[in-house]
Amino acid sequence: MTAQRLFIPFILFLVIAFLIGPFLIIVAASFSAGETLAFPPQGFSLRWIAKVFTVESFRASFGMSMFLAIGGTAAALILGIPASYALSRYKLPGAEIVRTVVSAPIIVPGIIVGLALLRYIVVPFQVGITLALFLAHTALVLPYAVRVVSASLENLRSDIEEAAVLLGSSRLGAFFRVVMPNIRGGILSAFILGFVTSFNQVPVSLFLSGPGVRTMPIDMIAYMEIVFDPSVAALSSLLAFMSIGIVFAAERFLGFSRYV
Amino acid sequence: MFQNRAEALALALPAAIFAAAVFLVPVVILLSDGFRNPTGGWSVSAYIEFFSNPLNQAVFLRTLKLGALVTVTAAVIGYAAAFAIVNLEPGMKGKVTGLVVLPLMISPVARTYAWIVILGRTGIVNEAFQALGLTQAPLRILFSETAIFIGLLQLFLPLMIISLISALENMPKDAVPAARVLGANWLQVFWKVILPLTKEGLVIGGTLVFTGCLTAYITPAILGGSKVLMLETLLYQQVSVSNNFVAASVIAFILIAMSFAANILLKRVATARNKQRRAAA
Repeated sequence: MTAQRLFIPFILFLVIAFLIGPFLIIVAASFSAGETLAFPPQGFSLRWIAKVFTVESFRASFGMSMFLAIGGTAAALILGIPASYALSRYKLPGAEIVRTVVSAPIIVPGIIVGLALLRYIVVPFQVGITLALFLAHTALVLPYAVRVVSASLENLRSDIEEAAVLLGSSRLGAFFRVVMPNIRGGILSAFILGFVTSFNQVPVSLFLSGPGVRTMPIDMIAYMEIVFDPSVAALSSLLAFMSIGIVFAAERFLGFSRYV
Repeated sequence: MFQNRAEALALALPAAIFAAAVFLVPVVILLSDGFRNPTGGWSVSAYIEFFSNPLNQAVFLRTLKLGALVTVTAAVIGYAAAFAIVNLEPGMKGKVTGLVVLPLMISPVARTYAWIVILGRTGIVNEAFQALGLTQAPLRILFSETAIFIGLLQLFLPLMIISLISALENMPKDAVPAARVLGANWLQVFWKVILPLTKEGLVIGGTLVFTGCLTAYITPAILGGSKVLMLETLLYQQVSVSNNFVAASVIAFILIAMSFAANILLKRVATARNKQRRAAA
């Protein structure tokens, strides 16, 4: 029994070390004073963390990824909230087809979505790369938006808005005054899930990059193929802390995990 | 339930039309490319050509093999970890589960990048092996199947553990002690009690891990390099190096067919479980 009692925590320790260890190594390496990426880090300095903010391409691609993550998720919600509402509150003809079409991008690998968009939208219609990336990221986030918003609509009793309508409110008024305040947590959670998904997404953007137009992760991969200094480690750590911070705050204030 | 059809369509159609125009139609056209022959008719010659190339065969088999190996390994480790987590005291359980979920919030680029520091020529593993006198020269671990395996396992293990935790938590509390009291050893307890009762969780976790491995791009790209290809990296190479869009379409179809099959399996299991629950309630 004692052997067992020690064995299980030991396994757990190994698993956690395997899952978290690499990330801790990256964090440690980003404080290195040395010229190349290494662990254990050579000395201690903040020079690589500082350097991240001075690399021009990092600043541009961070801005691009922020724009895609915020704008794309907002667009996905603007499309997704009415669709979720129609799916959960109306007798919608072809509801299954709508649901399948809207949530299909989740099943198809991102690299294929990017390639299809490049060949059959970008090239024939002369769409700019930035707009193409925006469309791709919106399509990618749409399934998450519909899933999370639908789930919170399902948890809200539909008779309160029927009551509002019976009492003379317009359908639209009932939606904004009765439904929206009740699914705000779900919408915010969908936004955060969409933001993190979009920001970290690589494959969909692989073929949709042009001169000067790159998402953050693509730019990081391009940088580390050329320069092997700890700045990508520093950048990775900063971005990871940003994601973790957002999700942690969401869990704290919204009970994020209830929705996703 | 509102009955107004026009209103319902007005609400649902923008999203559906958007997804169809930006995603569905282009992807369907892309997939149909692989079934065209040069004269414009339909044929499967592109598939025959793709699979008769030994390099492509090797990549296809490697993708299946790595996917299967990662899934099985994740299941074995996942059971041990999930079982340990479920048996922790409540406060600890939340914290440890948080640690398991944490990597999912970190960019796959950062998570893969870390393995270069660990597995590279002057990485931790090689330095340690040489210091211990196990090897004279640095081992070449990066750019190999082993490196991809380790990277994929680290990327997707959390999904398996989470699926198994919820399956184990839904298991009747006294099933394991009962089997133990009745004289079953741990192996029997696992095969005869735990495994049948957590099968759904295993299938859900397994599907997530397997499709994750099929469609991962960054891990094989960074840890496999340009020589050790998987289907995703082969697709990228066919487009960006060889300009072979027909081969890309064939690979795309194979990838989508495999993830579709896995998702249908997942849905089947989920509905079977819902029915069971309804029957029980």
